[in-house]
Amino acid sequence: MAITRRQFLKRSSAVSAAALLGPGLFGNPFVRRALADTIGDRYLLVIFLDGGNDGLNTVVPVNDGGGSLRTSYEAARGTGTGGLRLLPSDLANTLIGTDATGAQLALHPGFTGLKQLYDLGQVAVIQGCGYPDYSLSHDESRHIWMAGDPNNLSGGANGWVGKHLAANYLGSEIPAVCISDGVAGELRQNVTSVLAVHRLRDLGFPYDGASDADIPAKRAAFAALCASAAGSAQPGLQYIGSNGTATLLASESYPALDDLYVNDRSAFNDAYDAIDKSSARDLREVAKMVYGVKTGVPNVHARFFQLSNGGYDTHSDQGAAATDGQQYGLHQELGDSLKIFFDDLTDMGEADKMTVVVWSEFSRRVPQNDSGTDHGSQGPVFVIGGGVTGGVYGNHPNIDPAALDDNGNTVYSQAAGAFRSTDFRDVYGTILKHWLNVPEPTILSGILPIDSGNANTHWTTNDFDLGFFT
Amino acid sequence: MGDANSILTAAETRHLLKRTGFGAAAKDVAKSQQKGNTRGRAVDALLKFNPKKFQPGGKGKDPSLQDSHDQWITYMLKSKFPLQEKLVLFWHDHFATSNVKVANTRLMAEQNLLLRLMCKGNFKDLVKAMNKNAAMMEFLDIVRSGRHQPNENYARELQELFTLGVLDHAGNPNYLQDDIVQIARAFSGWRYDDKKKDTAFLDSDHHDFIADFPERGPKTIYAVRGGFGASGRSFAAGGEGAAEIDTVIDIIFDHTDTDGKNTVARRMAGRLLEYFAHASPDIGVIDEVVATSGFNTNWDIAGLVRTILVHDAFYETDVTPPFTAQSQKSITWPVDFVVSTMRALNVAGGGKHGDALRIDGGANIRDRLTDMGQSLFEPPSVFGWDWETSWISSATLLARFAFARDVIGARVKGKSGFHPEKLISLALSAPGAIVDAVTDLLGITDQLTVDERQALIDYVSDNGANTVIDLTDPDVQNVKLHGLFALVLTAPAYHTH
Repeated sequence: MAITRRQFLKRSSAVSAAALLGPGLFGNPFVRRALADTIGDRYLLVIFLDGGNDGLNTVVPVNDGGGSLRTSYEAARGTGTGGLRLLPSDLANTLIGTDATGAQLALHPGFTGLKQLYDLGQVAVIQGCGYPDYSLSHDESRHIWMAGDPNNLSGGANGWVGKHLAANYLGSEIPAVCISDGVAGELRQNVTSVLAVHRLRDLGFPYDGASDADIPAKRAAFAALCASAAGSAQPGLQYIGSNGTATLLASESYPALDDLYVNDRSAFNDAYDAIDKSSARDLREVAKMVYGVKTGVPNVHARFFQLSNGGYDTHSDQGAAATDGQQYGLHQELGDSLKIFFDDLTDMGEADKMTVVVWSEFSRRVPQNDSGTDHGSQGPVFVIGGGVTGGVYGNHPNIDPAALDDNGNTVYSQAAGAFRSTDFRDVYGTILKHWLNVPEPTILSGILPIDSGNANTHWTTNDFDLGFFT
Repeated sequence: MGDANSILTAAETRHLLKRTGFGAAAKDVAKSQQKGNTRGRAVDALLKFNPKKFQPGGKGKDPSLQDSHDQWITYMLKSKFPLQEKLVLFWHDHFATSNVKVANTRLMAEQNLLLRLMCKGNFKDLVKAMNKNAAMMEFLDIVRSGRHQPNENYARELQELFTLGVLDHAGNPNYLQDDIVQIARAFSGWRYDDKKKDTAFLDSDHHDFIADFPERGPKTIYAVRGGFGASGRSFAAGGEGAAEIDTVIDIIFDHTDTDGKNTVARRMAGRLLEYFAHASPDIGVIDEVVATSGFNTNWDIAGLVRTILVHDAFYETDVTPPFTAQSQKSITWPVDFVVSTMRALNVAGGGKHGDALRIDGGANIRDRLTDMGQSLFEPPSVFGWDWETSWISSATLLARFAFARDVIGARVKGKSGFHPEKLISLALSAPGAIVDAVTDLLGITDQLTVDERQALIDYVSDNGANTVIDLTDPDVQNVKLHGLFALVLTAPAYHTH
C-alpha cells in the first residue's frame, strides 16, 4: 500500500506555516521562536559517539593563555611514533573560542565540517561534561548518560528523552525514530511507539512472499483485527491494537519517504553519497523524515531521532593530525556529514527547527599510552542547530598532572572557579527547558532527579540556563 | 464463591494452562480436563513436579551465552512441566541479574539452576541462597564490598526489590537509608571461591566488626519501621561474622508494615498475583491468599501459587462483569510468545549450537528475542523487565510479526519445519471451519470477537467469493492456509493470554 507520488501530491495541499510566511519572515528569530512555541514544530536528534571519544584531542588548548592548559596538554600527549599531540599548526584552521583560563581552543583538525557550522554560529561546544563518581565501564556509563540519572532514582531503564515522550505522546503515535535495529536507550520508555529502523526503504510489514496478489487481503484482515482490538475495553488488547495500527501505517508510509526524497532532493542525496560513510547515510534518513513531515506525508509525525556512530574506543592507533588517522577519520566523517545535513535542512527551510546533541559515554585518559588512550572521565558535548547560540560553554577539565586522580583522569567538581565541571544533566536540562519547553519542576521530578551529597562534588544545584538557546 | 472444588469450564482451563505454561491448544485443554476437572485437581497436576537439575550450558563449564540461551529455550520447548519454567522466568525477573555486568556465563548458569531447584520451595531459603549466589554477588557488588566503606548496592535492592518493597500498602516507607547502611555492614567481606564450585565464604579481614567501627553504632535495623519497637532488632545478636546475613533475612521476614501485616508476605503474594492473575491485585485478595496459604509463616511458594491458582481472583468470578475469555488479559512475554508458538506448531528446536534454533530465513531465537525486548540472562536492569504494555512498540511488534512469518515459512523437512497437514485436517473446506481449526490449535478461539473471527473468514474466503476451500491444493496451502496461520499469530489477541 505504498503511497504513490500522485496520491502524495494531492495530500500535501496543507501547506506548512513556514512556507506560507516565506523564508524572510521565518528567518526573523523573534517570529521563529513565537511560531515554534505555538506550533511545536521542533526536532531533536541525539547522536551517540559509541566507545568514548577522546575529548582532549577534540577540543584542544592551542596555547596557555593565562593558565597552563597547553603545557599540561603537551606533558600528556607526546610527539613522534604513536604520539597524539596536535601542534598549533595542525589546529590553525579549526580555531574556536577561548577557555575561562584564557587558552585559545581549537577543534580537532578533522572537524573542518563542524568548524564551518561553528563559524555560522550554530555550534555550542560545551566543555568538560560529566557526572560524579564516574564509571569507566562503557556499558554502565552509557546507561547513565542515556537515562540522565546516575543514581537510578527515576527507576528502570527509561531514557531521558523517553521520559519526556512518555509524558506527552500516546501509544497510537510514533513521535520518535531510531536509525538502528533496536530502540536506543535515550528514547526507551513504555508508553508511546518508537520506530527502530536502519533504512526507511527496508521498513515493511513482514508479509510472507507466497503471493503478492494475496497481500491486500492479509492487510485488510490485519487492519480489521487491530481496529477491533483498539476498540476493546481491555487495556492490553487496546494498546496492542493501537500500536499495531500505527506500525502498519508507518510500515507503509515511511518507506515511501525514500523515493520522495531521492526524487525531490537528488543533489543533496548525491552529496551524502559522496561522503560514503554510515553517519552521512544515517543523517540522510533523518533528513528524509524531516522532509516527509514538512511536506505532509500521511502518518509521518516523527520529531525525535537517535543515531549512533561507533569506533571511538581508541585504545591504540588513535592518530594525531595525519589525515588517515583513526580519530581524524571519525571526526572528518561526522563533521562533514553534519555540514551536509544542515545544508540540506537549510535548503528545506527547516534548519532553525532542528537541534542536534552529540555525546559520548566518557572521554579518555589524559596521559596517552603508546599510541592511544584508555577510558577517562569528563568530555565535551556539542549542541548544534539553527536555534542554537554558538560558542564555547563550560570549562576545560583541569588536566594539570597534579590535579588528576589515581586513574590519570580529570576530577569532576562543582566547586566555583575556572575548573568547575559542567554536569551533563545541565546540558540535557537546558535542552528540555529551552528547546522542548518543559517546565523546570517537571524536568527535576520526572527526568533528571538531583543528587544528594556534597555540593562541591555532586550535582546538588541545577542550572538549566547554560545559555546556548538565548 | 468458588474454591478448589469448583468445576473448571474449558475457557477457565485454557486460561489456567496459558498462565502457568506455554500456550493452550484444544487437545491440551481436553487432556487437562481428563486429569482433573476441578480447580484444585488441575492445579495439583501442574504443580506435581520435582524440580529438575537442568543447568543451561552444562555443569561446571564456561558455556557461551548463546549455548546457555539455546539450551534453555530447547528445554522450555520440551518441558512436560512448563510451570517449573514459568516460575524460573518469574524468579529470573525478580532477582534480575545480568550477564552484561556479571560477565561470567558459568555463574549465570549456576544461578539459573538455583532458581529452578528452589522455584517452588521455601522463599526465605531462596533469599538466603541468593545472598550467597556468586552471580548475584558479582552483579550487586557484594564481592567489592569491604569494611572501610561497605557497598550499599545489595543491601538496598535486597529490601527494595527482593523482599520488602519501598513503600507499604498505605504508602509509608518500609525502611530508611540507615537500614541500608547497617545491612550493608553485614554483607561486607563476602566473597566466593571459584576453585570450590563458586561457594561463598566470609573473608573476615574485609568484614565490618563493631569493635573496629564503634562510630557506626550497633548493628541494629528497623528502629523506625518494621514493627520492632524503638530499639529495632540486632542482626549481630547471634554473634558477629558469617551468621549476620542469615539473621538479616530472618529479621526482614519478621518485618510488619504500618497495617501490622507481614510486609514480605504481602509483597510476594502481590507480585505472584500480578504475574499469574492480573495487574494491580486488590489488597483484600492479597491478604486472603496469604492467610489461606499461611505463606507469612511457612514461606512455601508452591502453597502460595496453589492458593492463587484456585482463587476466584484468578478466574475473575469475583469481578464485574464476571470472567469472559477476553477480560483482564495480560500481554505475553516475548519468550512465552515464541515458545508457545513453536510448541503449538510442533516446530522443534534442537542441537547444541548457535544457529540450531534458527527459523528459516532469519536470525536465531536469541537475536529475535532481543529484538522483541527480552534478552534472557540480560535483563535491562536490576528492576528486571517492565511487563504488560512495556513489551509493545512498533519495533517489538515487527519483530514478533517477522517471527510469525518465518516460523510459518519454515518449510523444511523434519522436526524443525512447519507441517500444517499434521496439525489440522486438510479435508476441511468451509472457511469458518478452517478458521476455527487454526484458532483452536493456537488456543485463541474464545478470545476472538465475532468481528475478529469474521475478518479471518473474509481473508480465507476472499470476502465470501470462495465458499469451498480445497486445502489439498498446494497453491491454496501456500497462500491461504499459511497466510491464515501467520495472521492468527499477528492478531492482537494472540499476544495476550
